[in-house]
Amino acid sequence: MLMKNRRATQSCNPELVDDFLADRLSEVQQTEFEQHLDGCGACCEMLQQRTADQMLWNDAKTFLSSSDQVHVKSSADELSQTPQHESLRLDFLAPTDDPRMLGRFAGYEISGVVGFGGMGIVLKGLDPALNRYAAIKVLAPHYASSGSARQRFAREAQAAAAVVHDNVIAIHGVSEFNSLPYLIMPYIKGQSLQKRIDRHGPLSVAEILRIAMQTARGLAAAHDQGLVHRDIKPANILLPENVERVLITDFGLARAADDASLTRSGVIAGTPQYMSPEQARGEGINDRSDLFSLGSMMYAMATGHPPFRAETPYGILRRITDHAHRPIQEVRPDVPLWLCQFIDRLLSKSASDRFASAEEVATLLEECLAHVQQPSVVSLPLMFQPRKEVRWFRKSGVLVGGALIAAIAISLSLRNLVTTNVRQRETNTVETQTQVPTVSDAATSPPIDAELQWHQDDQLDQIESTLNELNRELEK
Amino acid sequence: MNDGDAWDEFAAIYTPVILRLARIKGLQDADADDLAQQVLLAVSRAVEKWEPDASRGRFRTWLQTVANNAILNALTRGVRDRAAANETIDALLQQRPDRNGPDSDLLRTEYRREVFSRAALQIRCEFSDDTWNSFWLTAVDGVDVEVAAVQLGRTRGSVYASRSRVMKRLKEKVEEYADEKS
Repeated sequence: MLMKNRRATQSCNPELVDDFLADRLSEVQQTEFEQHLDGCGACCEMLQQRTADQMLWNDAKTFLSSSDQVHVKSSADELSQTPQHESLRLDFLAPTDDPRMLGRFAGYEISGVVGFGGMGIVLKGLDPALNRYAAIKVLAPHYASSGSARQRFAREAQAAAAVVHDNVIAIHGVSEFNSLPYLIMPYIKGQSLQKRIDRHGPLSVAEILRIAMQTARGLAAAHDQGLVHRDIKPANILLPENVERVLITDFGLARAADDASLTRSGVIAGTPQYMSPEQARGEGINDRSDLFSLGSMMYAMATGHPPFRAETPYGILRRITDHAHRPIQEVRPDVPLWLCQFIDRLLSKSASDRFASAEEVATLLEECLAHVQQPSVVSLPLMFQPRKEVRWFRKSGVLVGGALIAAIAISLSLRNLVTTNVRQRETNTVETQTQVPTVSDAATSPPIDAELQWHQDDQLDQIESTLNELNRELEK
Repeated sequence: MNDGDAWDEFAAIYTPVILRLARIKGLQDADADDLAQQVLLAVSRAVEKWEPDASRGRFRTWLQTVANNAILNALTRGVRDRAAANETIDALLQQRPDRNGPDSDLLRTEYRREVFSRAALQIRCEFSDDTWNSFWLTAVDGVDVEVAAVQLGRTRGSVYASRSRVMKRLKEKVEEYADEKS
């Protein structure tokens, strides 16, 4: 049997070529076939023809020799599915002597790929001199082919490097190696907010507030430098391990707001789920565009998914510009109304309806967080306390408001709502005040449920919070 | 195309094609980006409106026709307005471009280039480095088989066999991407 096969492989046999191409040869037969090819030019020729016609061989040569050796994918998921591809895509790395490493780049020993961004690839590299890991973001070769793209990358990196803040990832250096621009950032162990949401679903109210507050602080620092991030989304928020700190990463799309020569696009292949309406319409953007994206991000933290979803980018953009988001409480009823209102305001279609600045948002979020942590001690910011009456009081002055509150509170007290708490607390009130603090205390200590059956809770809450605010204003 | 993955796949092929075409036509990077954005937005709008209809043929063929029209129209128009305004999108979808002009040839070439590139990327992991290099050195880089055999420390016959195995797989993969029918 074996002898017969050997003879077959040693003579020219067109069927054997077909069998080889159809993968029908055993390992032994295959070796023998290769041995035959070794000495038989005619069979080599035949094999080449039967594999593919000449046009395809020509196309392979033409198209593949001009293609980028390094293929950077848009989605990090594709990386995890096909890690073998790294060998093809990381050909720009120089060889290394260290078998544990992938290669060398700009003096760093590269040990892995952290991720892919819109414009480049992020590597994990060891700085042998400092024996310290760094994250190295390299501009994707197909972008690096032109001088203007390289300049843009460098300009963005320099702008981002100017933002020094606890909640913005630091940039240690910007340089170029073998015509590939790169920047050096600290390598930080942790996960992105996107991963966190994917793995654990919606976040607690306190977590939403904490992450949003720190993000807003980082944004405020960037905005101070005239820098709009343009791409705030959970994938760009890094949550380092073991510390309660939030880092904004990837100012890759951020551009100096006054640099009119730069492109305004940002949608190309990705999904623009966190984009602001003005970005979606291709209009000019400003600091408040980041606030919209922050609102979308808070929505995603609260519900587990972004506020605007569709199957294609265009569908998403239409929803962002033309449709209201689904109310959060329809998706997750336990999110407090004031937080929903906070997010709704960030998600205002018109930029002027959002908050004035990231700074203001950060301050408000801080107050909200304090309230959630100590509800009995700290009250919500005034604007999230219920509603018309509060604003009216503010406008018409403390005294009128106080008188009105007093009237309401008295009418409540007439219905036996003043409890013993009032008398206990009376000693704590500011002595120089007369009627108002007393009355406010009456309402600050809520009556028990049984006494409230005739009345709606939220109205009492209104009075309570309004009185709190009045108290504070009087104490000033 | 009923899910985001299919869209991502489509955008992943067409984005580099559009960017290269735009640069060949002399556009700046920023304008090339904008052009690509306009085309992809236009196509994604068409996809939103698409309903299965036997008379319009296979979805993939339809999608390619829409995309190719939009690209050719965009190249002709150039970057007039940077906004993805609705009238721009409509114009990209509705005008009937010249399907036999030089731009059309260029588009076919660049699309095919991208398909080869993606196909190569996708099949790379199915082969050992030696097998892959046998193919790449001789079929792509144009190195003589004898030389490649010495370089790789393999026999001439095994280089021939290896590169044919890769080529056969590449051919299959390339054929999976339906070719443009114009």
